[in-house]
Amino acid sequence: MTAEGLVKVFPGVRALDGANLRLEAGTVHALLGENGAGKSTLIKIVTGVYRPDAGRILIAGAERHFSGPLDAQHAGIGVVHQERNLIPAFSVAENIALQVVRSRFGFVDRAAMRDTARDCLAQLDVDLRVDRPASDLSVAQLQLVEIAKALAVESRVLLLDEPTASLTPEESEHLFAVVRRLRDQGRVVVLVSHKLEEVFAVADTVTVLRDGRSVAEGAPLAGYTRGEIVDLMVGRAHADISLAARTVDETAVPALELVDVATASGHRDISLTLRPGEILGLYGLVGAGRSELARALLGLDRITAGTVRVHGAVARIRNVGDALHRYRIGYVTENRKEEGVFLQQPVSRNVAVTVWRRLARHGVVRDRAEDELVNTYVDQLGLRISGPRQLAGQLSGGNQQKLSLAKWLAADCDILVIDEPTVGIDVRTKAAFHELIAGLATSGLAILLISSDLPEMVTLADRILVMRDHAITGEIDNDHRYDTVSQAVIRLIHSDTAA
Amino acid sequence: MTVLERFDRATIQTSLRSTEFTLAVLAAVGFTVLASTTHGNLLTADTLKALFQFLAVPMVIGLAQMVVLGVGQMNLSVGVLTGFCSVITAYLMVQSGWPAWLAVLAALVVGLGVGTVNGLLVVLTRINGFIVTLATMTIISGLRYGVHGTATFQNYSPQLVRLGQGSVLGVPAIFIGAVIVAGLLAVFFRRMSAGRRLLASGGNPLAARLSGISNDRSIVIAHALSGLLAGVAGVFIVASSGSVNASIGDDLLLPSFAAPIIGGVALAGGVVSVLGTCLAAFLIRLVDVAQAQYGINPRWVDLIVGAVVLGAVLISQLRSRVSGGSP
Repeated sequence: MTAEGLVKVFPGVRALDGANLRLEAGTVHALLGENGAGKSTLIKIVTGVYRPDAGRILIAGAERHFSGPLDAQHAGIGVVHQERNLIPAFSVAENIALQVVRSRFGFVDRAAMRDTARDCLAQLDVDLRVDRPASDLSVAQLQLVEIAKALAVESRVLLLDEPTASLTPEESEHLFAVVRRLRDQGRVVVLVSHKLEEVFAVADTVTVLRDGRSVAEGAPLAGYTRGEIVDLMVGRAHADISLAARTVDETAVPALELVDVATASGHRDISLTLRPGEILGLYGLVGAGRSELARALLGLDRITAGTVRVHGAVARIRNVGDALHRYRIGYVTENRKEEGVFLQQPVSRNVAVTVWRRLARHGVVRDRAEDELVNTYVDQLGLRISGPRQLAGQLSGGNQQKLSLAKWLAADCDILVIDEPTVGIDVRTKAAFHELIAGLATSGLAILLISSDLPEMVTLADRILVMRDHAITGEIDNDHRYDTVSQAVIRLIHSDTAA
Repeated sequence: MTVLERFDRATIQTSLRSTEFTLAVLAAVGFTVLASTTHGNLLTADTLKALFQFLAVPMVIGLAQMVVLGVGQMNLSVGVLTGFCSVITAYLMVQSGWPAWLAVLAALVVGLGVGTVNGLLVVLTRINGFIVTLATMTIISGLRYGVHGTATFQNYSPQLVRLGQGSVLGVPAIFIGAVIVAGLLAVFFRRMSAGRRLLASGGNPLAARLSGISNDRSIVIAHALSGLLAGVAGVFIVASSGSVNASIGDDLLLPSFAAPIIGGVALAGGVVSVLGTCLAAFLIRLVDVAQAQYGINPRWVDLIVGAVVLGAVLISQLRSRVSGGSP
């Protein structure tokens, strides 16, 4: 199977910009790239979820067009997503044979179904009773069932997206044995993984994506060292965007200080210090526990041990109201459509939602008070709206994000947790956003920046903390030199001391 | 790009704002057609008065449902609660000899109280509001008969009945009452911070929570308000009909949903329309009047109302698809 010159443009973002993927039968192929390099988009095109804007997909030399995921399946391309996609109430056999159910006189042929399931599991050398309900299985077993399900539809190409993200080392080993078996049967396994040690252990060939382009195309992995792969992923050609230098008063009382904090979601021994006027970066892979830490600071998750100090005084944050009104901590969420913005409400209400209490006189809020509030942020944030009454749902992604920020500025926060501020935002708006965030820090706000966008981190942060598996694995003083800093960060993330 | 964007915006804006306009046009057309095809019969003082006299209760009931829909909840007990409140009012006046104003106040307190209990049950047990109010509906339905069996109360406070059946400048007093209630509710949702918080909770509970709003409080307030409005509707019935019995409220539940749904209220929460709900109640009332005027078999009325509800929901779904596609 070959994919050539794939291009996919989303509003404001060029997710893929001429990516190639060349797969040889009987190989394990690694697909690598940093967050946002275009891996997910590529997978979605190859599996028929998205249609490419340009480029073509060839299978056994013939060009194919997929009008949906089913087409891709019929062409022999199976995928096991990072999230599990089984029906919990169905048995293993029912799940595996879901798309190939045979029926006799309108009744499901259960015997044939079981046979199919047993056969698929046997190909994987997996011993599992096919009558067990899927809800009884462990994560690792579910994953094997999903692979078996892909075999049931006779997949020649199997994509595994971060298959070991939630597996123990032993389970991963077993999975890789299965992967090698599939390869020896002449299939192609595409492995998407952030763990380079795994990739080097199983994969034969590699494609590296960077900024939507493939910078290594189906090359034998043996020709590379780990360092070279990291270089390819990060790239050296990033132009540094320079923002005005800021100075942080090191002697100031920290706006936020965590000492040996543990949380209900699994963080342990988290210690950090954030001073007024400082941007502290929190970098890590998806699932490392960064947003969860933010949620704990907001009182949404429980803090189980350790001390939180706000402006030097011990703080007990029990709910968002506490965080907001007592400690002045705001959270600009990652997922603005779902968590940040009221799409059906006008701009004015979106901005004023945190301060109705303050605006109201005898419980009555005047529209004009809200409008005045909005107007102060239209200039400061460069918000582009037709008027305070415009519905938030009609704004572009960048403007919605600014709206979500305006809400917290209106609430007079002195500590802002900003989560993935520029996901899905075009390059120009992104630069404006970076200036905005730097400007907020200059004006004295303490900012905890969560981002999976490494260039953004290097541009903005004063110091970068790297989080992995809900613990902080290192701290880097950011001198805004992309090469050295990004290498240091990536090494901390991909270090071999797997927990 | 910008032209497309602007075009997009314009269509979304109009489609979002047009519900009330469409309903107003429909109401005017329907009324005119009805008036002209009945040779002006509709325009006689008595018919007009009856039209609005019997609009008050469906209007308030629709608003009672609308308030809970606003936070993304439902209140199945709204109909029987209305009946319960009217039976209590009558019982207190007839059996306990309370003065009318006190009995009315008591009914409102009962409505508010039951609504608050509904809300607290939803919040404390985390059981779906549909199920909670299904249960309280059944309980209240039984309590209605518990007050005084199937007996009918009549001959209570003549002043109250005179007020309920009277009119000011030809406009029925209880219709004026319903309009005042609707006005207050509109102010609540537009101007009061509590009303705004309620809509924020309904529109996006996650974002509301992250903005320091207590969704639980919003749910309790919405249910309490819904109960209070049911109490108001109960009092209207007592005042306007002159006699009440325990079967009142049985046929109010579905109309309570019909009005807000036709009126453009989002079932998922976050969007309410007081004007739309009132106009929809008027439209449904017109269907009723048409039945009486043309002598249509009453069973067709339900069919028509059902078709209108289904059509309105379809339209609102199409609308949400349009606005969902916005950037």
